[in-house]
Amino acid sequence: MNKLLLTALLASLPTAGAATLVFGNNGDPVSLESGNITDGISIAVQRQIYDTLVDFKDGTTDPVPGLATSWKANKDATQWTFTLRRGVKFHDGTPFNADAVIFNVNRWWDPKNAYGFRNQGHTYEIWGQLMGGYKGDATSVLKNVVKINDYTVRFDMNKPSTVFPSVIGSGYFGIASPAAIKKDGAKYGTPASKPVGTGPFIFQSWKTGDRIVLLPNKLYWGSKPKVDQLVIRSIKDASQRLNELKAGTIDFANDLTPDSLKAIQADKNLVAVKRPSFNVGFVSLNNRNEYLKNDKVRQAISMAINKKAIVDAFWPGLGISNASFLPPVLSWANSKNVPADYRFDPTAAKKLLAEAGYPNGFSIDLWYMPVSRPYFPQPKPIAEAIAADLSAIGIKVNLKTEDWAKYLEDRRKEPGFDMYMIGWTGDYGDPDNFYSAYYGPGGSDDINWNPAELVRLLDQGRAAVSQADKAKVYAQIHEITYKANYRIPVVHSQPLAAARSYVKGWVPSPLGSEAFNNISVAGKK
Amino acid sequence: MGSYLIRRILRTLLVMIGISVVVFAFVRSIPGDPATVMLGERATPEAAAALREQLGLNKPWFINYKDPAHLLEAQYPKYMAQLLQGDLGSGLKSNIPVRDELVNRFPATAELAIAALLFALLVGLPAGILAALRRNSVWDNLATTISLVGVSMPVFWLGLLLSYFFAVRLGWLPPSARLGNDVTLEPITGFYVLDALLRGQPAAAWDALRHLILPAIALGTIPLAIIARITRSSLLEVLGQDYVRTARAKGLASRTVTLKHALRNALLPVVTVIGLQAGALLGGAVLTETIFSWPGLGSWLYEAISQRDYPVIQGGVIFAALVVSVVNLLVDLSYAALDPRIQYR
Repeated sequence: MNKLLLTALLASLPTAGAATLVFGNNGDPVSLESGNITDGISIAVQRQIYDTLVDFKDGTTDPVPGLATSWKANKDATQWTFTLRRGVKFHDGTPFNADAVIFNVNRWWDPKNAYGFRNQGHTYEIWGQLMGGYKGDATSVLKNVVKINDYTVRFDMNKPSTVFPSVIGSGYFGIASPAAIKKDGAKYGTPASKPVGTGPFIFQSWKTGDRIVLLPNKLYWGSKPKVDQLVIRSIKDASQRLNELKAGTIDFANDLTPDSLKAIQADKNLVAVKRPSFNVGFVSLNNRNEYLKNDKVRQAISMAINKKAIVDAFWPGLGISNASFLPPVLSWANSKNVPADYRFDPTAAKKLLAEAGYPNGFSIDLWYMPVSRPYFPQPKPIAEAIAADLSAIGIKVNLKTEDWAKYLEDRRKEPGFDMYMIGWTGDYGDPDNFYSAYYGPGGSDDINWNPAELVRLLDQGRAAVSQADKAKVYAQIHEITYKANYRIPVVHSQPLAAARSYVKGWVPSPLGSEAFNNISVAGKK
Repeated sequence: MGSYLIRRILRTLLVMIGISVVVFAFVRSIPGDPATVMLGERATPEAAAALREQLGLNKPWFINYKDPAHLLEAQYPKYMAQLLQGDLGSGLKSNIPVRDELVNRFPATAELAIAALLFALLVGLPAGILAALRRNSVWDNLATTISLVGVSMPVFWLGLLLSYFFAVRLGWLPPSARLGNDVTLEPITGFYVLDALLRGQPAAAWDALRHLILPAIALGTIPLAIIARITRSSLLEVLGQDYVRTARAKGLASRTVTLKHALRNALLPVVTVIGLQAGALLGGAVLTETIFSWPGLGSWLYEAISQRDYPVIQGGVIFAALVVSVVNLLVDLSYAALDPRIQYR
């Protein structure tokens, strides 16, 4: 009874004076276990609790030291040696060292690992996608991970990889405390456990569907948090996130719809924050369709879509259109022989269509996504705009959509969709991350077009050691894909975020999430 | 009465088993599976197949007839065996036990549904009564019009509108969630208003109540409209019946006639509607909870369906069906209380 009374008393004490930072996340995390998630909502939370070996310079995709202070490759990039930061402790007080790194890597990539991914299975799918396979696979980029001493780890590769440090630095691969994972087993990462990393914030509580409370890590090796408490609220609806911002019940939020930019700018209490663009939204044309097989038809379609007008209408001030699959940060990998943007010329397009043998046009399906993504926040009206542009040259477009799960499945099921909208947000700063996701074996059956030369070039790009070599290979890929017109990039958008005007020090990362340790809320009421 | 109850409970159990079979087959026949959704934009057929195997989704649904030695390795027998031990499984990706989430989230939904129902009754009943008694008056027209608007207003639209107007423009109420950012409350029952009072935290109770108002109005508007209309028409019908005329002829006061004789009988269909609305409230909670970031069953189930998270959908649907059955049983029992002619044997 006394204890109950005391708890009640403590709980009713005013918490005024403490600086609480409140973030509006666009949903509830799937899990707080690093090595178990692939979604941005979970990563946004995990970035606060866990560090990665490699970090990225604020607002860029340039690798900088994280839990590793330095790393270097041998001459042909088949061995990477990482020097680890000394004196770092996990939130549970256990030391961070080479054993901890190897424990985590084994969880991610060894399907037989006892502490590996969950009880339903033992492979972490994103590892396979980014690293070509798992321990023991011939296709795996990584061959072995070796402890040299307590603060040095070496990664041996099956094939040269110049992007390895960036990949291992991506938000999926937060380093967790081995002791905590061993203690909680399958419960680790659920609300019934306490996720333990070395990051700037320490996990306090998680009420699913509602909020996660984190406390500052006073012993953090990097720049220490500037607030007394970080609350991460789960607010699924974008308009409601904006409402909460305006009402002042949250301090900052991600993923607002582009059309709210004006409302944010008009509110003197709010500041619009544009995340650097690191995505592409595009339309895929299917080679199995008899019309779309024709080179001239595809060219006509790409010429008929007024991408600039579409971007101006749906992403006013928040997007660009160009003739590259790669977001602007990676423009060093673009070819100089390809024009900056596609030509918009409905008259020429109509002529091309006539040359192709369809002077009166034809009828075709365009599938748009049922969900909102940073690259296509409002897929339906965008699809309608594309349909209107195509109807101007005589192509009658039937707009179609279906439930997201079915959409994802059907696009890859033969014969697939004639034309469909999809997109991609990058994980790390390399052109391969964009091209391989949609060309080469990975995208093999949604448009039925994967020329051998392209596949060969993609392999070559992954192995290229210097950036100059890489630029040469990707310039060729750019030329081939630009000429082919099978995937027409519509937009590289800047996801819109916003903060109350007293929020200082928030530098959003192009990779989608960043740690909040530098944010302060001086002057918050 | 006792044997009636036992029969009803047995029947409910049978219904639950039936529902488990149906929901099991149903979720698996919806195209698109958890593997595809988990992989999202990255899903290659190979990766999806591998993940499907990991999740055990490549096993037959009900009986493994191809392989008699492993007859019970199909998905349903395994699920039922688990269920009989009180284990509803865990979210496919999150690994959060479904039972824990049900325990966690049901009170939130129940608190919201009860508040919405209270709002609907407190406003709907008097409005309906008033409309019936002052038939064709301004009041009647007003009540009819409002109830028409209430029924046709999409819940998510109304929710956003309420939130924008009362939270953003006027600043009277919080826009969403169950508690303020700086309020801490150790739950006991999961009903926050009640818990805060039990813990002796009046400030927290007030905060929880303020958070409850807007979602309750959003969720309660449709039932309110329906209750008002049913009350009106039911009361009008009863008022026209012989025994009411007799009562009046006996010289009873008009108020006594209306409230004691007519209203009691007129309430029967209203109670039925409330029972039916209990199911609808769970359904309406999906949108209301999503709009108001209310951590209840509705928003959780909605998410699970779009993710094809089979164990969560199964557990959630079976549980929701159980709740609706119990509510309906209570409604049936309350008939007897309202109308002595009805007896259960």
